[in-house]
Amino acid sequence: MKILIVEDEPKTGDYLKQGLTEAGFTVDLTRHGSDGLHLALTDHYDLAILDVMLPGTDGWAVLAGIRRSGKDMPVMFLTARDAVDDRVKGLELGADDYLVKPFAFSELLARVRTLLRRGNKTPEMSVLRAADLELDLLRRRVNRSGKRIDLTAKEFALLELLLRRQGEVLPRSLIASQVWDMNFDSDTNVIEVAMRRLRAKVDDAFEPKLIHTVRGMGYVLENAACAP
Amino acid sequence: MRALITLPWPRLSLTRRLTLMFVTAATAVLLLLGWVVATSVEQHFEELDMEQLSGKMALIRQGLQGIASPEDLIPYTHQLARSLVGHPGLEVLLLDSHQSVIFATEHAGFAPELVVTQANQRTNQTALWTLSGQTYRALAGQVALAAPGTATQAATVYVAVAVDMGHHQAYMRSFLQTLWLFVAGAAALTGVLGWVVVRRGLAPLRAMRAQAQVVTAQQLSHRLPVQRLPVELAELAASLNDMLSRLEVAFARLSDFSSDIAHELRTPVSNLMTQTQVALSRPRSADNYHAVLESNAEELEHMARMISDMLLLAKADNGLVVPHLDTVDLADEVRALLAYYEAVAEDKHLELQLSGQAQLLADRLMLRRALGNLLSNAIRHANPGSCVQITLVNSATGISIAVKNIGDPIPADLLERVFDRFFRADPSRQRSSEGTGLGLAITRSIVTAHGGHIAATSQDGVTNFTIVLPPATEHG
Repeated sequence: MKILIVEDEPKTGDYLKQGLTEAGFTVDLTRHGSDGLHLALTDHYDLAILDVMLPGTDGWAVLAGIRRSGKDMPVMFLTARDAVDDRVKGLELGADDYLVKPFAFSELLARVRTLLRRGNKTPEMSVLRAADLELDLLRRRVNRSGKRIDLTAKEFALLELLLRRQGEVLPRSLIASQVWDMNFDSDTNVIEVAMRRLRAKVDDAFEPKLIHTVRGMGYVLENAACAP
Repeated sequence: MRALITLPWPRLSLTRRLTLMFVTAATAVLLLLGWVVATSVEQHFEELDMEQLSGKMALIRQGLQGIASPEDLIPYTHQLARSLVGHPGLEVLLLDSHQSVIFATEHAGFAPELVVTQANQRTNQTALWTLSGQTYRALAGQVALAAPGTATQAATVYVAVAVDMGHHQAYMRSFLQTLWLFVAGAAALTGVLGWVVVRRGLAPLRAMRAQAQVVTAQQLSHRLPVQRLPVELAELAASLNDMLSRLEVAFARLSDFSSDIAHELRTPVSNLMTQTQVALSRPRSADNYHAVLESNAEELEHMARMISDMLLLAKADNGLVVPHLDTVDLADEVRALLAYYEAVAEDKHLELQLSGQAQLLADRLMLRRALGNLLSNAIRHANPGSCVQITLVNSATGISIAVKNIGDPIPADLLERVFDRFFRADPSRQRSSEGTGLGLAITRSIVTAHGGHIAATSQDGVTNFTIVLPPATEHG
């Protein structure tokens, strides 16, 4: 998967490149809008991440140029300005997502993966698995080591999300919006509590542990024993 | 800077403009007056001339009518010449029917055709004749000589009487000259007086300017003295004072906010600095670095949240938070929120209860956030094992949403301040890891943006937050 980043702020650009490269993507980084547009038109990318405020050709112009040439790869905007008009403008021009600075890298990564997944249809599975944990989507049942585990509706949704995105660190905000449809940061540590309760049912009595807290970033479900 | 008021003519000072207007108005009035006077004097002269001319004409007519034959004209002309002595400027010309001169005074060399034409018009109007540089006002007529018995021999005599107008014209010239001089002088004088008057009249305006110059960012409390100003300016000053008051409030809010931000960010930034610098002070194990970075990430996440919360509040303060109205079923929204907080509530053995239902026009996401903050606040402060109640009431006057919890009471004097930014009832809980201290402030901003209001009560350990929103039909 190849990603193009157009970001003029040196540190942001460098760390985005490093972070995404380490997450397994091939990343091209450029500081100028015109260079970015040139790269986007001459090379093949699966995703473009554009800063709105760029010297010379700004992010809007780069996006407009990309869309004019008929390329339909997903485009994500980064901006320091959180104005509704900007958001609307970006979406009208054909942007697929919009992140306001300061953002968490885990959030960006999660959204990048969501955008990349949108394109290719993964075969719809009826049973999700990790180690000896099984989640049956049709019968809405969860088993671990052959033992039935009773979950509430929200716990089931939470576990489904974690299983579908195994190995990805999911930030709290993403979990809140995907499972509870809550798009704001709550003052209360709702996600921590929900996660603790889920672990008590799914992980506490079993080995290996599957759900892990990544401090400062979020949660990940992975089978540490077979992680690369 | 764009001018708010555009003037139809080039930018002149108020004093100059008013002076100019004064002069124009005064000159116009004086000119009109001069014209009226000049016209009436002229008319008066004309009437005088007319009187003299028609008198003479009547006299001559009478004299001629007493003459039977042309032969008798000669003695009559002598008599006429005598009667004209002592009437300088009065000219008389008599012509017979063949236009030959019977009698003429010294300067009465008028063209016979002129006399005959004028006489044939049989009007009693004067004509203006010019002869060797002099202008005469003239009256002409014809008289048939009386010829008893012999009507066929009757002869016609043309009579012209004229008066030299040189006198009157000279008088009018000097009169008009004086008049113009007077008008010009009066206009100039009006200008000077007008300027003085306007300057004096505008003195309060200059005083006001001097007062206004005192106002600076540091002295926004200064106000213009409304009582000492004329009525017209007092209104202006009152409006300006109102503007200053609004600015002062906004400015105070802004500087409070800035100092709040600085204060609230100081702690996490100092934590980050200390932690990072201590970590860097000597070589450590990878695990150690890992722990420091994790802690930093948490701290930074907290700061990032605070920044976006503060930006939202700043936008709300500036009226930039505009709800995208949609029909919202409140009970559905609350149920979704209850599901979200379910686990936390169960942890504290709290029971969450919802009663009532209501529909309204609101921004779904904003409303959800406002209610979420209230609910999270109620859950945090509720006594373990108690009950948090959400009551929706739909009435004609508005929709009320009440969130009630049993827990530590809020002292009455702090009830108003719970909606302030960074307010914490217990100062010892300086920075809880949980919130940014902006939740209730955000709730209030959202409610205000929807045209509603929020209030808190606390009695006997029961704390009640009530949002009142305008009814769906009136809103939007």
